[in-house]
Amino acid sequence: MIAVTGIGWLTRKGYGCLISKVNETHEGFETLYSYFKHKSYFSCPVKNFSRFDTISKMTCFSAALALKDASISYSVKHKQDIGIFGANEAGCLESNMNYFQDYIESGRILARGNLFIYTLPSIPMAEASIHFGLSGPLLHLFFNEKRIPSLLSFAGKSITEGEIPSILAVSAEENNALCFVLQTEDAVSAGKSLSLESVIVAADKSNFSEIITALTGLA
Amino acid sequence: MTSLKAVSVAFDMVTPYGWGTDSCWEGLLSGTSAIRRIDRFSTCLMQTDNAATVPYLKPSSDESLVMQMLTPLLKKIAPEIPSDTFVILATTTGEIEFLQRSVINMEHEAIKSRPDHLLNKIMLLAGTCDSGMVVSAACVSSSAAVSRAASMIRNKERDSILVVACDSVSEFVTAGFSSLMALDRHMAKPFDKNRRGLSLGEAAGFMLLMSEERAVREKRDMLGEIAGWGLTNDANHITGPSKDGSGLSNAVLNAMKSAGISENEIGCISAHGTGTLYNDSMEMKAIKKVFGNNPVPVYSVKGGTGHTMGAAGLLEIIIGFETLNKKTVPPTVNLSDTDREAEGWVSSGQQSFESPVTLSTNSGFGGVNSALVLKKSEKIL
Repeated sequence: MIAVTGIGWLTRKGYGCLISKVNETHEGFETLYSYFKHKSYFSCPVKNFSRFDTISKMTCFSAALALKDASISYSVKHKQDIGIFGANEAGCLESNMNYFQDYIESGRILARGNLFIYTLPSIPMAEASIHFGLSGPLLHLFFNEKRIPSLLSFAGKSITEGEIPSILAVSAEENNALCFVLQTEDAVSAGKSLSLESVIVAADKSNFSEIITALTGLA
Repeated sequence: MTSLKAVSVAFDMVTPYGWGTDSCWEGLLSGTSAIRRIDRFSTCLMQTDNAATVPYLKPSSDESLVMQMLTPLLKKIAPEIPSDTFVILATTTGEIEFLQRSVINMEHEAIKSRPDHLLNKIMLLAGTCDSGMVVSAACVSSSAAVSRAASMIRNKERDSILVVACDSVSEFVTAGFSSLMALDRHMAKPFDKNRRGLSLGEAAGFMLLMSEERAVREKRDMLGEIAGWGLTNDANHITGPSKDGSGLSNAVLNAMKSAGISENEIGCISAHGTGTLYNDSMEMKAIKKVFGNNPVPVYSVKGGTGHTMGAAGLLEIIIGFETLNKKTVPPTVNLSDTDREAEGWVSSGQQSFESPVTLSTNSGFGGVNSALVLKKSEKIL
């Protein structure tokens, strides 16, 4: 059996940890990094955070909330056998546009490596894995139907098969993000958890606020 | 619940050596490189003029380069693909020309470059009515896709999966790698003392995987088994590999555990071998962590095919099956002065071996690593 031990969410106006029932407003993404450091959601500075593309920032914010919700502490130096799988609607389309537009506007003289890096949809997960010390499998996935339920189901199967004991499943877009911590029941400590099956059903909604409402009802 | 073996029942590919697996195999054995001058966009401000491009492939407004490669391959195999087959596409940039044209001509077609659009075209070509997904994990994309397919077969979730992999040489990618100063001006020289960087390449291919049970039932040829796999992440640096190779060595150990074999059973190793200073050094450290002081033949195809990015893993798995069936380790093309770390392991000549087991590894940006254990099929119908 697989348990969901942490769920972090983030929008332009608020953020929350669903299992520990945290629900806060914030003043915008521009100030959120300092606020997260101050509140210890980030236990140490995120290296090069200001250079991250938007999806990478959203991935890191939501992963910090989900890990906090699951009471999993982390350190950059001590890696943990945790995987990270991501699925979002547009992949890295925005970053692809930013990189190539910048290259064309420069007269095709020199592309910028720092923009090029984010033209891989798996890089937001890689940025999160470096900061949180996640050394398990890392994948970006596009599903042609039911994106978040499919992601959760896919991650759950990887745990069931014994490939990895814990996985962060992230769906990060430009304006909102949702991250789940999936673990084997053996790995779950005394804290509250939800069954993966019930979370998959609750996440099978068409928009973000409906998903949050359904998940809040579960927790 | 008993688990099932995942076997390959069909594969094919187009590489810079030409159409078909045989042309790639023979090209590698000949020791000549398919890296050539790029003629599809201006390279005067790039780090190199060279890449391994597929002969006669031309940019067109009608069809993307990857679709020009995939269409003939998939049309040929489509009648043999069961309609309940699940499709997994592995790519890094897919149909990136749509985005390039969108930016250059201010058109609104960038969205067509998304890989889910390409997945739908592939499903249509393959004649599958089931759902599918895209796996993207930098240069590990297609080996990760094959590992997911094998995993889904082993746990009885699916019994027929088509893995399709593709990437093309574009201005988008070449300018990006140039900006990172990651390219060799001339040609990639994996595991050579004088290696200076990678050469980009392009390829497309497919592998139809089935449970052994279904393959036997349908009287399919079994071309090889995906016996074990391991995926890890360095969690270390966004473009550079972990210097000690621990992420990759853990992936290899996980793959051997998954296959239920020991390192003594592995006959040869297909390394990622990009030709960059750091990748090749990291790989030798990782291999030595697992194999100690008992050299196993190691080779890289990238001096010949270039680095075919999202397609690299699948291309190398197909070549891995060829090594098993022909009992021959291909030479590492462009190797002339072997790096000290690789001495006794990597060779510029072909070698023979007897073991029915081989290992294929890949690593990529973001610190991703994959290792797959490939076995010769016991039953060939």
